[in-house]
Amino acid sequence: MADLQAFAPGIYPRSEALVQATRDLDRGRTTQEAVDEQVERDFAALVEAEQAAGLDLLADGMLRWQDHFRPLLEQADGLETGALTRFLDTNTFYRAPKATREPRLQGPLDERYVAPLPGPRLVTLPSPFALSLGTGLSPKTLAENVLKPALDGLEAELVVLAEPFLAREDAGLDGLAEALGMLAGGPKLALWLTFGDAAPALARGAAELPVDGLGIDFYSTHLDDLPKGFGKLLLAGVVDGRSSLAEEPREIAAFVASLRERGVEEIALVPNGDLQYVSEPYAHEKLARLGKAKTATVEAAA
Amino acid sequence: MKFLTHEIGSLAKPPWLVKTSQGRELDASDIDQARSWGEKVGVEGHEELVETLERGGADVDELNHWASRYCVRLQESAGLEVIWDGEQPRSEMYAWAIEHSTGFEPRGTVRSFDNKYYSKSAAVGPVGLAEPYHNDEFSFLQSVAKARLKIPITGAYTLAVWSYDEHHAPREGRLGAGYGRKSEIEARRELTLDIARNIIRPNLEALIALGADWIQIDEPGASTEADELDLFVESFNVSVEGLDCMFSTHLCFSDYDLFFPAIEGMSECRQYCVGFANYDRRELGTSAEDRPGYEVISKFRDLPYDPILGLGVLDIHTDFIESPELVRDRILHAVEVFGDPARIHVCPDCGLRTRSWDVAYAKLQALVEGSRLAETALAGASVS
Repeated sequence: MADLQAFAPGIYPRSEALVQATRDLDRGRTTQEAVDEQVERDFAALVEAEQAAGLDLLADGMLRWQDHFRPLLEQADGLETGALTRFLDTNTFYRAPKATREPRLQGPLDERYVAPLPGPRLVTLPSPFALSLGTGLSPKTLAENVLKPALDGLEAELVVLAEPFLAREDAGLDGLAEALGMLAGGPKLALWLTFGDAAPALARGAAELPVDGLGIDFYSTHLDDLPKGFGKLLLAGVVDGRSSLAEEPREIAAFVASLRERGVEEIALVPNGDLQYVSEPYAHEKLARLGKAKTATVEAAA
Repeated sequence: MKFLTHEIGSLAKPPWLVKTSQGRELDASDIDQARSWGEKVGVEGHEELVETLERGGADVDELNHWASRYCVRLQESAGLEVIWDGEQPRSEMYAWAIEHSTGFEPRGTVRSFDNKYYSKSAAVGPVGLAEPYHNDEFSFLQSVAKARLKIPITGAYTLAVWSYDEHHAPREGRLGAGYGRKSEIEARRELTLDIARNIIRPNLEALIALGADWIQIDEPGASTEADELDLFVESFNVSVEGLDCMFSTHLCFSDYDLFFPAIEGMSECRQYCVGFANYDRRELGTSAEDRPGYEVISKFRDLPYDPILGLGVLDIHTDFIESPELVRDRILHAVEVFGDPARIHVCPDCGLRTRSWDVAYAKLQALVEGSRLAETALAGASVS
């Protein structure tokens, strides 16, 4: 991989047209076919935006995912949707995973949930710790029985495991390390610590977890908390998915220079979490700024 | 004794209002809906609405009034003692407030959950009130309702936390700087208290001047940030301090444990109306084991100023119709925990706007019937 990349994992917001189509579907005012057609239009527009921004890996935006867990819960025997639960400190809610017995994925995620893309791609899945939270099951069990079979059905340059909870939970990392070890051997893996100060997790050894890359929200995490000699791909969260303000590419470029000074060699510029917490036009602008930030970084270094 | 029953706020809008607002053609089923519900819940003069709809070209403001009449009668017909109009004239609880305020700009639509969304705006300057925005609705309902009215109004903290803040938050300098929670909280505090002072309080004063005697301050966002609960409390107190009215607040879909001890400082709140059924089992029973969704209610009981608990007994996220017996058992469990039935009111978990009128009506009827069953059970217990 190049030593500076940019891409956007996670759930991307739906356009106003898709918002309306899905609302209408719930109210019996339109058909699933009409919604599918709008999803395809949203998907095409997203890919075009990613390509125009010059992003190195394409993502499908998870436009059909109702939350980070839903398709896996629906596809796995022994897992189901639980109570509607607030996602961190946002006004967005998800159905918390609930286990009824030892789970088992019944088949790989199909193209509705992992759409084919015209170029090198990434796929976002929940981290085993996030998927296990509240289920009473271990991250290892969920990695082995649910995530590993899902990974085996994927072709991707990188699988990003979204982990919004670890940065906020006072949990040891041994269980997660064991689970991540179960997932090795396929596509490259990155653990993406979204929307939170990663310092406590880094202090507990997150940088040593058996993954190829680690994502850090640098709107919450101080640069000094990144261990010196960090030797993995750093998914640097430099675009704030919870703010409507547009980031300045030159500020991001200056920050990348600080990361370089700290000895980080492989960097990917990413949002600090899903972009679905801003509306689609704002997410579109943030994608463009990721690309501009990469360009500004290269130009500043030249 | 009698349990007071009430709605929380929102109900779905009828198709003839939605379509007319969107400039769409009505079909026969829309007009049938107006006719059948008008007959079912006893809307006086509904034939006039049906004729208007059949003729076409109805005025949206006029239809808003009709929708309010329908929702008032729907709730009265279901047997509720305290009602509102399902917030029919309002675009939505957040958007309506922001549309009538100054200092905000729209920032598009964001998902709430699944296929549910909300519009989100950004504070871009000092915020204020363009005009009191519930007066017309309240005045109209005073002329229509037979039951007591309780006015729901979105609270300051929820308006703040559901908005982006481009006014107080720094535009640059946060990246990698460990821009801490302390700074974030300070920015939120400024915005929230500005909203409380400049938007909510003038609204409350205007409603009280019109005769309001119960105002419910909706704060579904109250527990969004666990370390900002003191700010939620402060904003409530700033909004209502010294005003002569019964104030309650509505909380939903939260980890309610987080509210304690912060709300010990919210003594002007005379009723907490809280959603629990979403977390509860559907089997009958009155023991703590039978009612896991209600585990936290003892903390509301123990608040030093003895507020009433508005007990959420209807899960508003599902079409499952709670049986009156299930409602009864939820109430009886709460009475057992509180030891004082007078401190229990009965309500849905939240507004029922995501349910059809058929489902909402059936649920509300079950709520009322279950309340009566609980009264009978308690009367029987006291006799024996």
